[in-house]
Amino acid sequence: MLTIRNLRTGYGKVQILRGIDMSVAEGRIVALLGGNGTGKSTLLKAVSGLLPVWSGSIEFNGEEIRNRKPNVIVRRGLTQVTQGKDMYPAMTVEENLRIGAYTRSDKAGVVADMNKVFDYFPVLGERRRQLAATLSGGEVQMLVIGRGLMANPKLIMLDEPSSALAPRVLLDIFSIVNRINRNEGITILLVEQNVRMALLLAEYGYVIRDGVIHIEGDARDLINDDNVRLAYLGGTVADAGAELAH
Amino acid sequence: MDLLLDFIIVGLSIGIVYGLVALGISLIFSGLDIVHFAHGEVYMIGAFLGIAIVSISGVPYFGALVGAMIVTGAVGVVIERVFYRRLTRGGGGYTVAGMGMIICGFGMSVALQNVAYLIWGAAPHPYPVSFGMPIFLGNIALPKSYLYILVSALVLMAVLHTFLTRTKLGLAVRAVAYNKDTSYLMGVNVPAMISLIFGVACAMAAVAGVLIGPINYVQIEMGYLMLLKAFAAAVVGGFGSLPGALLGGVVVGLFETLCAGYLIASYKDIYAFLLLITVLMVRPTGLLGIIVKVKA
Ligand SMILES: Nc1ncnc2c1ncn2[C@@H]1O[C@H](COP(=O)(O)OP(=O)(O)OP(=O)(O)O)[C@@H](O)[C@H]1O
Ligand SMILES: [Mg+2]
Repeated sequence: MLTIRNLRTGYGKVQILRGIDMSVAEGRIVALLGGNGTGKSTLLKAVSGLLPVWSGSIEFNGEEIRNRKPNVIVRRGLTQVTQGKDMYPAMTVEENLRIGAYTRSDKAGVVADMNKVFDYFPVLGERRRQLAATLSGGEVQMLVIGRGLMANPKLIMLDEPSSALAPRVLLDIFSIVNRINRNEGITILLVEQNVRMALLLAEYGYVIRDGVIHIEGDARDLINDDNVRLAYLGGTVADAGAELAH
Repeated sequence: MDLLLDFIIVGLSIGIVYGLVALGISLIFSGLDIVHFAHGEVYMIGAFLGIAIVSISGVPYFGALVGAMIVTGAVGVVIERVFYRRLTRGGGGYTVAGMGMIICGFGMSVALQNVAYLIWGAAPHPYPVSFGMPIFLGNIALPKSYLYILVSALVLMAVLHTFLTRTKLGLAVRAVAYNKDTSYLMGVNVPAMISLIFGVACAMAAVAGVLIGPINYVQIEMGYLMLLKAFAAAVVGGFGSLPGALLGGVVVGLFETLCAGYLIASYKDIYAFLLLITVLMVRPTGLLGIIVKVKA
């Protein structure tokens, strides 16, 4: 469904991604792991069109989407839920969801999908007329995932949905992500720092390091792989030493 | 007593005109993250275009109002596309282009004034319309143009408010004003929306120009003082807040008319800034200012 080949990009003159190769098969949950600042969000921005790509290719459903505008890429069915929990605080919960459906003209479908979002996240239904600024951190995460669903995507890229959440809420979010994948047939690319959870949920995983895919494999194998833990730590000698001594 | 009522109506009308220009400045600030220093000249161009259109025989005053809005809006879109957007090519959009954009705004202000000079000359132009007899309220005679200002501004406010809160496009405009990257990911055509915001802001300035035309003369230097007053209005109301811009305009208009009426009339243009300084000392965010976003 999504195939990335030899992708290179960065900010200004600073290169961050040095040739990423990965693919996401239809209907799956695929995890993308890596330490802080390794370029996970950068990769998502390149795929969704926010960041210009220097070279390589990004194929979505057989179509080359490299350097297409973000508003065009969303219409193809590829949605990104950003890491920053970027909701619109001065809009109501309902308006936030409606802007998620901006590309759609099927009014009935939009209403149906909004009800579906309220089924997954009942608290959003209760707060639908409230300003998004009044939501808690966990509720905001639910809102941005719900807003992503409103676009009726084929593939949704979730950037660290678990960050800064209490363990209870985190479990809720992960189980809903799983249900969305099962029930709606939406393919999910899950970027996570919570390695264990992500690998329990995903079927396949990639670990990014130094701008390339360092390790990849079936989630079950990765979960037992010491290298994953090492790579995940960010790879400084001190870190590795501490981990080995442990 | 009659005098007071007269001052209030005049102050309110002038204030609404300040508010319309301030509204455009606030709209551009919230949508593009820049302070548009050429907005006074856009207002001046709008006023001249109004004269040009009303001079075509058969076009009524309100036709000229709408015509000037449309043409000035289009001119605004061209200015934004052709000149300002070039400065954002380095990446990061308008927010990052910040300082260069401010200088570019000053340059545009000088350029527009000179263009207007070449076309219309330096002499003040009277507005070639006559609204007939003034309306009599008790003992005071009120020229109809004040009534037109009040009515047009109210209608315009209602339309803008409905657009922003009730339509999908209006929702997208608000979304872009808050966060461009996120809105791009929602599928909003952000560059087009920026043009739209800029065009609407320029159209508002044109309305102000056409409304004030019959009261004052129209001349190429009229933009500079208007920019300062509108700026004061925007800051008094709370920079970036749309209702605040209008409220600020009304407060500034009333304050300066009343002060000029009862204190020293020749200091008229100073009162707005006295008010500005006072408000900034007492309430730095302006009357309706709330910090909803931190500007880079
Ligand atoms: N807008 C930007 N301009 C310049 N450099 C940036 C920008 N955004 C990110 N970077 C740099 O790119 C590198 C990768 O950042 P990125 O956000 O992709 O990391 P990440 O893997 O998502 O990390 P995290 O898990 O902390 O979110 C970092 O070194 C970061 O400092
Ligand atoms: Mg990140």
